[in-house]
Amino acid sequence: MHYIIRHLTRFRYSAPVTESMMEIRMQPRSDAGQRCVSFRLQTVPRALASSHRDHNGNIVHHFDIPPRHTQITVTAEALVEVGVPPPPDAAAGWDALATSLPLDVLDALVPSHYARPTRLLAALTDAVWPTRPATPLQALRDLNHAMAREFAYAPQSTHVDSPIDDALHSRRGVCQDFAHIFIAAARSIGIPCRYVSGYLFHRREDHDRSAADATHAWAEAWLPGVGWHGFDPTNDIEAGVRHIRVAVGRDYADVPPTRGVFRGIADEILDVVVRVQPTSAPAEPEPAEAASPPWLEPVVAADDLAALQQQQQQQQ
Amino acid sequence: MLSRVADSLYWMSRYLERAEHTARLLDVSLQQLDQRPGDAQRRWERLLASLQSTTVDSEPLAITASLTFDAGRNESIVASISAARENARQVREQISSEMWEQINRLYLHVRSATMASIADEPHEFFRSVKEGAHLFQGICDATMSHGEGWHFIQAGRAIERASATTRMLEAYVLDRGGALTQSNDDQAWVCLLKSCTAYEAYCKVYTATIRPERVIEFLILDAYFPHSIRFAAETIQVATRAIAAATNTAQAGRVDRLAGRLRATLDYGQTDEILADLRGYLVPLLQLCMQLDAAIYQTYIAYPADQSLSA
Amino acid sequence: MSPDPTAPAAPFTRYRLGTAYDEMFAAPQSPRSHYRRLYERLLELPADELERRQTAADQNFLNQGVTFTVYGADEGTERIFPYDLLPRIITSAEWDVIERGLTQRITALNLFLRDIYHDGHILRDGVIPADLVLSCRHYRREMRGIRLVRDAYISIAGTDLVRLPDGRFAVLEDNVRVPSGVSYMLVNRQVSKRVFPNLFDHYNVRPNEQYGQALLATLRALDPQQRPDPRVVLLTPGVYNSAYFEHTFLARQMGIELVEGRDLLVHNNVVYMRTTAGLERVDVIYRRVDDDFIDPLSFRHDSFLGVAGLMHAYRAGNVGLANAIGTGIADDKAVYAYVPRIIRYYTGEDPILENVETYVLTDDAQRRHVLANLESLVVKAVGESGGYGMLIGPHSSAAERETFRRQIEADPRNYIAQPTLALSQAPCFIDGGIEARHIDLRPYILSGERVVIVPGGLTRVALRRGSLVVNSSQGGGSKDTWILHD
Repeated sequence: MHYIIRHLTRFRYSAPVTESMMEIRMQPRSDAGQRCVSFRLQTVPRALASSHRDHNGNIVHHFDIPPRHTQITVTAEALVEVGVPPPPDAAAGWDALATSLPLDVLDALVPSHYARPTRLLAALTDAVWPTRPATPLQALRDLNHAMAREFAYAPQSTHVDSPIDDALHSRRGVCQDFAHIFIAAARSIGIPCRYVSGYLFHRREDHDRSAADATHAWAEAWLPGVGWHGFDPTNDIEAGVRHIRVAVGRDYADVPPTRGVFRGIADEILDVVVRVQPTSAPAEPEPAEAASPPWLEPVVAADDLAALQQQQQQQQ
Repeated sequence: MLSRVADSLYWMSRYLERAEHTARLLDVSLQQLDQRPGDAQRRWERLLASLQSTTVDSEPLAITASLTFDAGRNESIVASISAARENARQVREQISSEMWEQINRLYLHVRSATMASIADEPHEFFRSVKEGAHLFQGICDATMSHGEGWHFIQAGRAIERASATTRMLEAYVLDRGGALTQSNDDQAWVCLLKSCTAYEAYCKVYTATIRPERVIEFLILDAYFPHSIRFAAETIQVATRAIAAATNTAQAGRVDRLAGRLRATLDYGQTDEILADLRGYLVPLLQLCMQLDAAIYQTYIAYPADQSLSA
Repeated sequence: MSPDPTAPAAPFTRYRLGTAYDEMFAAPQSPRSHYRRLYERLLELPADELERRQTAADQNFLNQGVTFTVYGADEGTERIFPYDLLPRIITSAEWDVIERGLTQRITALNLFLRDIYHDGHILRDGVIPADLVLSCRHYRREMRGIRLVRDAYISIAGTDLVRLPDGRFAVLEDNVRVPSGVSYMLVNRQVSKRVFPNLFDHYNVRPNEQYGQALLATLRALDPQQRPDPRVVLLTPGVYNSAYFEHTFLARQMGIELVEGRDLLVHNNVVYMRTTAGLERVDVIYRRVDDDFIDPLSFRHDSFLGVAGLMHAYRAGNVGLANAIGTGIADDKAVYAYVPRIIRYYTGEDPILENVETYVLTDDAQRRHVLANLESLVVKAVGESGGYGMLIGPHSSAAERETFRRQIEADPRNYIAQPTLALSQAPCFIDGGIEARHIDLRPYILSGERVVIVPGGLTRVALRRGSLVVNSSQGGGSKDTWILHD
């Protein structure tokens, strides 16, 4: 399958800011049966973006905008080809996990910021796995089903930085919470597991719980014989040709689509628009309209920021 | 020199000048003997107006307490000296240790005083504040290299002083409905001169005959008296030119033009024209001072990074 | 009653030898040869002369501004760190072992960090458990795969040595993040030269005042572009930091700019410093700000002390940092237990300086042993320094031991335990006489184009009688350290 993805992000500031600096993780990965055919990133105001591959193999673009500004618009466009993942080896047992594992796989066993063991998590895993399942794959499938059964999908019920205990307690959450719980649970029985951020293509006939035209998150567990295999506990499915992988990490903290800082005192309002379209012909995406997206207002000249900063620093 | 360091030196100096100014005004006003009912009230109203104070107190001792010890009030002596010391602390390595010790001593002195402890002899207290500030200036001139940082200190003090004197004159003029009248309230003019430590200097030039137009002329245009606005303008120009030379920056033009305009306004001021519309003369002076402050900040401290990179 | 001829003479009347190694005395009234001259001098001095010199020394610290500001009740008053005027003397032969041992150790630790942040051979070879490293609080995954000039991870180390009862030195702790205290080593020397000028001349002490130049050379070598005249700056957290004096002192010694995070900015992966004359490029940063706070974009988002985008400039090879990001793996106290193995693995040599016996509490057997013997052991939190997060068994209450027992059981990875060491003792001037106090030694190791250890270090003193804690935050003081020529 080929997809064209448009991911628009707009930051608006309540007062002018300077020296914005931003990291972007939006370029789909080229690995494991997926290939990013092309990727284009544009910003307003214009900035010189450079990129590097982070320690998880994700492509990170980053740029800075020194002059004062009241908003930043980032438009990412990607053409991606996604293949059907190979089926996991249903027979592989626990022994294979006990042998010497590569470093990045070992790292997926260590508790991380958003995916660490808690008392509530232990209660969940005790209920899901009263006895040890026959194989790691079976354990993960049990977990995937249990999460779909026991947790309600409820947009806005948690925050981007909520600990898993919030969702474990309320039994409600969004894809990010479910991924974190899944990861922490898998690690607790010795299965290396990591976080995936990306997009899910919604067909009309699918009954996905997660929101259409939005970013999505799920988990990847390391299984003997196949390597990383995706589980989507939000939708009770395993990752397939509809899952477009952008970035992987130990948890959300490693892979936010945008991360930025600026100088100045202002509130930030964030708008995100995502569109995922299948395309038959693997052609280049149309020329970007990013330079002036329809909802971009002209930049309003605001009060002199230097004067503002000065007042903040030294009251006259 | 780091921009942050220059900024701290400049503000250290401004705040200390502000503290001394407030102390001087309070001291003079408390010592004034009133001839007519209503004089005192007008005097304190002028004082509050010239310090731009928002205090709601009206009784002299309450005003004094508020303007001296209310740390939450920006114009108070305690707040100004605390802010001066805080800026000095940020640049302790750039100033001499003697300067730091003096400003710290002054800070501890005002922090340990209370309205009760100064009530018997307020004059002694305000004198100690003024002397403490003068001592700091003397130590600064004697122990710190007269380089770029020292010039930021000079610029800060001169801009503060020019603004404060202009505001004080404005308050006197407004008090008289915007016009100068040949009134018989000599005491008010003496009070104004003393508030600028200008009484003795004035008498040397004009004798003890108090004429409002001469008082105004002296405080604005005298070329030699250190509290006149013209003197401050000259100091500002010398300091900002020295800073421009030291930094060799291409962006100094705006500061230089503003400093030059301020100085020309005073160097070539005509007494009769000034007196004809005193307020119309003072308001632009104050604006120039504020523009200078902003221009220095935008040129040397918080210039846009991209401007410097493309330069 | 006639005086006992074997009793010690003034000012040593209160001096006691114990089980610990005594730096001055081989036996009662019998000083070691290199201490003999100091001993004799102390016997000759009139009773109040030491007191006078101590006062003069304290005044010297005040005059030089070697002070810290007290906040709270006595706001704005200046205090000095306690200084003991009797020098600690180390022979040339002893120093030779220390110097070789520390050079071997820092070399191995740098190879270790290079390996951990690239291929991880040592983990695959099972020399050190991978999960131990991966769970280090100071492990920075962002450093994986980043190439550094000369593979210089640790450029500046301060390693704490103790002397065991048999007289050998052992490493108690490595400090390879932002070690502090070197300014006291240098100021102590300036003062002790004035306090004992003749004695100092007699002793033929190796100089240490070249430290500033050596540090600057080490920092310059970190310029990724290898320019002839790189701009080096010292990044301080600011005036409220307890080590601020040291930051200003070192910046002055090296003649470099002392900057705060807000003075720096990154544009297109280059670091600039904001000056009144415009932005100026910065090539090397001697940072005294912790990893967590150094770049709000990459690490703690709420940090005001750092420089946003610094990691990008670092990764792009546009700026050098001392120390590198992520060196804290090497001074994690659980990793410490493996340092002898690390040395053997990378250098093929036996460690010249040994470790103190250490129990790793993730190991079930070791943990059981430790929990059964808390009252005789020292327990330390692995990621802490400065004497914080410590339990000293013999000086602890039952309640304190119970607290640590629960903490260890909840998070065994976060603690290690060691036997209570009898740190060596040295003569100190206390209350008008000379008494023995426990000491350690922190030499400072510079690793640039080559490893340089300026002869000496900071000898820290536990000034409270019987105390084994030498940290300045916990009632410790310091004294000058004289390394002798042959």
